[in-house]
Amino acid sequence: MRYVIVGSSAAGIAAVEAIRRSDERGSVTVVSDEPSPLYSRCLLSYYLAGTIDASGLAYRSSEFFGEMRVDARLSTKAESVDVSRQVLVCERGAEIPYDQLLIATGASAKIPRSIPAVKGVFVLRTIADAVAIRATAESAHHAVVLGGGLIGMKAAFGLSKRGLHVTVIVRSRYVLSQMIDADAARIVMDGLREHGISVLTGADVAGTDVRDGRLIGVTLEPPAEGGGSLPCDILIVAKGVQANCGLVEGTGIECHAGIVTDSTQRTNIENVFAAGDVAETLDAATGERSVNALWTCAVQQGKTAGFNMAGRERRYDGSLGMNSINFPGADLISFGVTNPPADSDYEVLVDRRVDQGVYKKLVLRENRVKGLILVNRIDAAGVLLSLLRSRADVSGFEDALLSDRFSYAQILALGGRTEWNRYRTASNPIGSG
Amino acid sequence: MSTRIAHVAPVIVCRVDRCLSCRSCELACALAHSQSGELVAALQEVPIPLKRIRVLSLGSQGPLTRHRTIALQCRHCAEPLCVEVCIAGGVTKDEASGLVRFDEERCVGCWSCTMVCPFGAIIRARDRLLAIHCDRCEGREILACVAACPTKALVLCDADEVEEGVQCDT
Repeated sequence: MRYVIVGSSAAGIAAVEAIRRSDERGSVTVVSDEPSPLYSRCLLSYYLAGTIDASGLAYRSSEFFGEMRVDARLSTKAESVDVSRQVLVCERGAEIPYDQLLIATGASAKIPRSIPAVKGVFVLRTIADAVAIRATAESAHHAVVLGGGLIGMKAAFGLSKRGLHVTVIVRSRYVLSQMIDADAARIVMDGLREHGISVLTGADVAGTDVRDGRLIGVTLEPPAEGGGSLPCDILIVAKGVQANCGLVEGTGIECHAGIVTDSTQRTNIENVFAAGDVAETLDAATGERSVNALWTCAVQQGKTAGFNMAGRERRYDGSLGMNSINFPGADLISFGVTNPPADSDYEVLVDRRVDQGVYKKLVLRENRVKGLILVNRIDAAGVLLSLLRSRADVSGFEDALLSDRFSYAQILALGGRTEWNRYRTASNPIGSG
Repeated sequence: MSTRIAHVAPVIVCRVDRCLSCRSCELACALAHSQSGELVAALQEVPIPLKRIRVLSLGSQGPLTRHRTIALQCRHCAEPLCVEVCIAGGVTKDEASGLVRFDEERCVGCWSCTMVCPFGAIIRARDRLLAIHCDRCEGREILACVAACPTKALVLCDADEVEEGVQCDT
């Protein structure tokens, strides 16, 4: 059995491990366009901040490919797939035949057309990006981050820890608007403001000021007071990512926002799978199809794909928007539907203690957990996530879910109304003694 | 094709009918994870030693019944979600012992493990941005919580002896 995996980040690595747990004899080939791919993309902002050094970026040891008996073709670009001959075609005509193929090519940072590729302009996606930003930050004073999503905010905080003043330009009314709401964002911003980070909401970058091929400022939309540009030495563009579907062009492999997959991570073409930021899956909270370009989702999809490629049936219940981060003064966890439209059939329960820096929001639909925001009371987050995943009917104990006293014990006490089909429950239900 | 089967670790069960909420388990756990191993000295340690087990309220069945609690720690799940989500690759599953291991050196305090643990078993050292769990007293000779429990509510059982509603015998 010949397993071929394109991409060696979260999904690719998880697939390798799942395959090797299932099949010690088949050949596994990994193709990656990066020279040293075994690092965690999520840790790049910590590297920017100086919290970790380059060795701290490792996600698996350098022995990983050897230990997993993987033929790793690094710094190699895959160009297309010949689905009738079942061959992966790489640059310079190199052909790799497959029995099972996984496309885990990830996504690339979106860059608005108004932003030229000049010195001082960066995205934060790869280790090479982080190294380049860090080098420029040595002699920089003011950074602008375009985009107030998680990558942008993490990048902003990382640069502020290096002593730069950072301005975040956000189109929405508040930061992290895809993940959280205005109340939660306020707590996050209160903490970040003390760290030299300012935020301009309802704004965008219209263009850049360049001198001698180097960035010296950005022009804003709407224009800054008094006109002129906002001076900066560094611009990080954090406006989201786009699935790298180029590999499947002309192959008949179906691709919308991402490569279309079923609950086994199979595409519409036999023996071809997709996983990670490149894949479109069912969203477990909304019930719709979307790309959730998150490390956690990529690992779970890669694992699912790997098991199925190796003949072990495994279903993925759908991806979720799910994020966890620590900012100064704000431990923040959110997942699922967090900003339901006002006139929808979602029910929203809130515990608002913003002056104490605490905020909790539970979003329900048909008595089932569909979304959550927690700021600074995060210890029960996983228990609440499992209620979402198990589609448990929580009618009658919605308020208990929001209480600071909520724990797994409450679920036991309420008579075990959820299914723990993957984990061993080793505790006795109440009333047994 | 051959399939590797990972060992399923034995399980620490808390028999709630015997739990007195005394929290001896929490104290013993923190002491077992201290530098000095001695209570008065441990209280002075910086950072303060942390318990990895929590006594949680089950509520009571009515005004005349005892308030019940359960002592709960990491279950060392067969397919751990914390292993899947750790962005630093710092949480691993030892296939030989079946135990889940948290590498404190790699932890950056993102709390992704906390986001997914179905049992809420992650303990967070917020000041140090560190997530920890019950490490099954790895490297020590006894399970501190099991040894400390005065009523033997906490017992170690083989995984296949435990099902919902079934107790294992001491």
